[in-house]
Amino acid sequence: MGELRVLFEHRDVPGIERMDVYESVGGYQGLARAVTMSRADVIGEVKTSGLRGRGGAGFPTWIKWSGIPADQPTERYVVCNADEGEPGTFKDRELMLRLPHMVVEGLAIAGYATNSSTGYIYIRGEFLESARAVRRAIDEAYARGYLGESVCGSGHRFDLHVHMGAGSYECGEETALMSSLMGERGQPRAKPPHAPLPVISGLWQRPTLINNVETYATVPHILARGGAWYASMGTERSKGTKLFSVSGHVAKPGNYEIELGTPLEELIALAGGVVGGDLKAVIPGGSSVPILTAEQCRGVKLDYESCMAAGTMLGSGGFMAFNDRTDIVKLMHVTARFYAHESCGKCTPCREGTRWMYRIFQRITAGQGRPEDVDLLLSICNNIDGRSYCPLGDAASWPIRASIQRFREEYDYWIEHGRSPVGDDSVPGIG
Amino acid sequence: MASDLVNITINGTPLQVPAGEMIIESARRIGVEIPHFCYHPRLSKEAGANCRMCLVEVASPRKNPDGSVTLAKMPKPQTSCSLPAGEGMVIETETPAIIEARRGILEFLLINHPLDCPICDRGGECPLQNNTLHYGPPTTRYVEEKRHLPKAFPLSEHVVLDRERCIHCARCTRFAEDIAGDAQLGFLKRGADMEVSVRTGEQFTSLFSGNTIELCPVGALLSRSYRFRGRPWDLMTQKSICTECSNGCNIKLDHRAGRFVRVNARLNEDVNEEWTCDRGKFGMDYLSGPDRLTTPLVRRGNRFEAVGWDEAIRRVAEELGQAGRKSAFLGGIRSSNEDLFVMQRLFREVLGSSDLDHRVGPSFDAEPVIGVGQGQVARAPMSLVELEGLSLFISFGCDMAWEQPMAYLRVRKGWRRGALTIASVARHGTAEDERPSSLAPISAVRVRHDEGGELQVALRLLGEVLRQGGDGTAVPAELAAKAESAVTEQGADAEAVRRLALTLFEAGKGASDGRSVAVWIGEAARTNRQLPDILQTLSAALSAAGVHGVVQVPAMEVNEQGARDLGIAPTWLPGYEQADPAGRNSAEILAAVAQGDIAALWISGLDLATRYSDPAAAVRALESCPFLVVTDLSLTKTAQMADVVLPVTSVAERNGTYTNVEGRVQRFWKAYDPPAGVRQEWRIAAQIAARLGTEIHYASSREVLADIAARVPLYAGCGPDALGDGGVRWASALAGEVGR
Repeated sequence: MGELRVLFEHRDVPGIERMDVYESVGGYQGLARAVTMSRADVIGEVKTSGLRGRGGAGFPTWIKWSGIPADQPTERYVVCNADEGEPGTFKDRELMLRLPHMVVEGLAIAGYATNSSTGYIYIRGEFLESARAVRRAIDEAYARGYLGESVCGSGHRFDLHVHMGAGSYECGEETALMSSLMGERGQPRAKPPHAPLPVISGLWQRPTLINNVETYATVPHILARGGAWYASMGTERSKGTKLFSVSGHVAKPGNYEIELGTPLEELIALAGGVVGGDLKAVIPGGSSVPILTAEQCRGVKLDYESCMAAGTMLGSGGFMAFNDRTDIVKLMHVTARFYAHESCGKCTPCREGTRWMYRIFQRITAGQGRPEDVDLLLSICNNIDGRSYCPLGDAASWPIRASIQRFREEYDYWIEHGRSPVGDDSVPGIG
Repeated sequence: MASDLVNITINGTPLQVPAGEMIIESARRIGVEIPHFCYHPRLSKEAGANCRMCLVEVASPRKNPDGSVTLAKMPKPQTSCSLPAGEGMVIETETPAIIEARRGILEFLLINHPLDCPICDRGGECPLQNNTLHYGPPTTRYVEEKRHLPKAFPLSEHVVLDRERCIHCARCTRFAEDIAGDAQLGFLKRGADMEVSVRTGEQFTSLFSGNTIELCPVGALLSRSYRFRGRPWDLMTQKSICTECSNGCNIKLDHRAGRFVRVNARLNEDVNEEWTCDRGKFGMDYLSGPDRLTTPLVRRGNRFEAVGWDEAIRRVAEELGQAGRKSAFLGGIRSSNEDLFVMQRLFREVLGSSDLDHRVGPSFDAEPVIGVGQGQVARAPMSLVELEGLSLFISFGCDMAWEQPMAYLRVRKGWRRGALTIASVARHGTAEDERPSSLAPISAVRVRHDEGGELQVALRLLGEVLRQGGDGTAVPAELAAKAESAVTEQGADAEAVRRLALTLFEAGKGASDGRSVAVWIGEAARTNRQLPDILQTLSAALSAAGVHGVVQVPAMEVNEQGARDLGIAPTWLPGYEQADPAGRNSAEILAAVAQGDIAALWISGLDLATRYSDPAAAVRALESCPFLVVTDLSLTKTAQMADVVLPVTSVAERNGTYTNVEGRVQRFWKAYDPPAGVRQEWRIAAQIAARLGTEIHYASSREVLADIAARVPLYAGCGPDALGDGGVRWASALAGEVGR
């Protein structure tokens, strides 16, 4: 366990974003091997690897891939979700910036495996540099025949398009992303049991495969070195490695690739340890997942199952560590503001509930909290959770509910004294 | 059939429902009402399920690895409006969790809702109010400041938007996109700042905007004409028929203290479903307008004098009696069937005149419907429901959304389903092309020609059909020659007409027995003097292309179809029996008036001086008319030229029937008493007949209709006992179809 570089093996090689360097370290071997295999065998290799979706939900990748009706006479689409908006997460940004060919290669393999001839990379609007890198990589890949008329001479056609988002967190939700990609308002669409999965009816009602950047970037390694090799890493049910974006009160914030199942403390140590005080809390998977106290962090392993058992989630790997100068109420104020700002407005609980919670936080941190406010916040969380149209509502309620359950005394202090329990120099600041 | 049914359980009650039916609908079958705001059965489900009010708990059978089946409860409550019924589903709608969920949703909806119910038009008929009362929390826990936005933002001439009250259910935006098709409403911004809006600088010019007022589950979208004019509980409602066009929308006519207040749609699946158009919804203010006539007027020199009915009747009877055969009748397209039947009896039986015509154009000797087959049913106008199932609809000089609003919605519905192709033929610069409510944008073929070029387009189409291999055996040689020469002419529309011909052949291929192609001739083409030639040419083009089709000049005024059916025409009697001797048509009548060959002219409900296709000619004729009697609601330009003006009752003030564009005889009911001094038109006619020594005696409108059904075979199935609330199409009754 510990740091284990698969995707990042050549991250620091100068010029790795260019075709010749990427090829010189074994790039596009996965694609080259894939096109010699049957579609079913490519998906079989992904199945063997045990790869699970890296966007946050951890859904087995091969099930999605094999759900695409590859034989039906219809257009099919492969979509890469590069709308990385989860606060605390910045791994896809670096993957696209430094290793764009790995992403392109993964997409080309997915296109072959699902018999799709069109792919889209939906890139977060703010990621201009990453988008430029991907654009260059696509152009290079066309020039080398890895994209276009006949991928690696296989006769399979695959075209890849870049689409820039316009600055909406909600568009990272896969059905909202598809709405946006089709030129509609960035709002989610119906999912099972109300409507078919995107693999049956996605973009323009056609079968659509949609995965995260990191998921696609992992696929070339699985094809090049075998699913069994990939499955040899990680834990029983969480195979392989995972990128973590470590931020907060650590000495060396940045992206780290570790084997799944690595102890949480080890990741903090890898990032240079906690600075400016002792560890107070950790949000391990992006702002949407429940916060852990330092106490709860002890002995937790970073894999899907262990995080669940610890009362949080692995999520997208947006790992935020907080020292004891952190005011949890102010932290949640900032979080509530984010979700209120990003709610798309489609459904009632999220649209009204997120704004209401933010208003209450504004009042509490202005010293105007009322004794009933904490229970009111809990009740609002319960009224949003599970009732919103898409997971954004759930994600807005989980961190706040967990913070109240785990740091209730800080809320009570704010309400009783009208000031921070941590002191005047507490963080984060509230803009 | 049985295989399409699934077994589900709702609140412990087992029932069978069609697979895929939305659970909210299934629940209704056993009387379980699930509260909702955004759900509407006619609006798209994909964009719905956003209010989250209709949550239910669901368990579905799941197969275990060992083959056994257990019920697995879904972890989250599901929206029943978008949940398709599946075999074995178990639904609970009244559990503590659901009751709490509803309360939570209502609390969310109300935190920013101004709760200004006491001054809100919707108060008393508001779904938000009702659901809050039944399912909501008694008080709020919200202490922050509510959202403040401008009140009464004018979206259009007819509709204002109160953004503070909006609950973002997206019914209006979905209506605009799905049903009306003009998609002028959308959402701006996001989250709690999201608001319904038109694009900057635009107006909500849809011809169907009024429907959003009825769809809105709160008082956010409001009628400018009704705003602050009444409370729902103070209004009386009567079943009625919209009088603003021939489609015959079923409406609820709301009135108060003997005055008209507003129009709402009344459900009729075969006619207007539950829609109205703005022309109708906002066009019926005339019923209680300030210019209503309330007493007969007789001309004394240059001015009118109010007189009693006895004197007015005596005067008219004298003049008509003296004129005898030299009397004539024009109009009647806004009169009821009862009025028209008695009126034509007065003219034909009492006065001995055949000079009756309801048409305001010069050359309408053409048949209004040319279809395949024989007999009355084949010449019946197409039903509105039939329009949805066509494979090709050709709008020929017809601004459908304006002239035939409900037919427009049907055609659009067929197009949305994907099986109906639309072609639009119109002159350049038509209003249709300037407006969002229009068939033009969804037309596969668009032909645009110069003013008066309709016949040329029809000939060109026929020529193309013949050139592309159409069967010309039935086409008269002279016509075929004209068509051939039309094709060879240069023209900007040549390519479009060629594609129209191809589309016709295409429609012919898949055609079965039914009428699969319809050509509707609109007002622009109706006023073309070559209308009969146009009709003949188009019909020749249809049959040459081998399609089962109909070329139709659809009625435009509320009872134009009734006037046709009941023989307000010089060449046919009620039921299209041939008139012998034939009389003169409207152009000939006006010419005869001008020549002094007609001594007395009766114009009913028609402002001929402005509506006639050649208004100046009409005015000249009327000026020289020895005796002119006009029956109308107000003093129109034509009425001002009359010798006697007789005020008549409006649709709200009597019982009666109209026949709509599809030949459906529909009843309307008296809502309130007419002003004193106003009479029903058929009673006036009967009184005049009596004065002239012929008893045309009926006790009531109902009795007139019974007599029509007895005497006119066409209307045999449309007697007073058969009509019900939704009316009967005479063609369906003749064909022995029940219901429609």
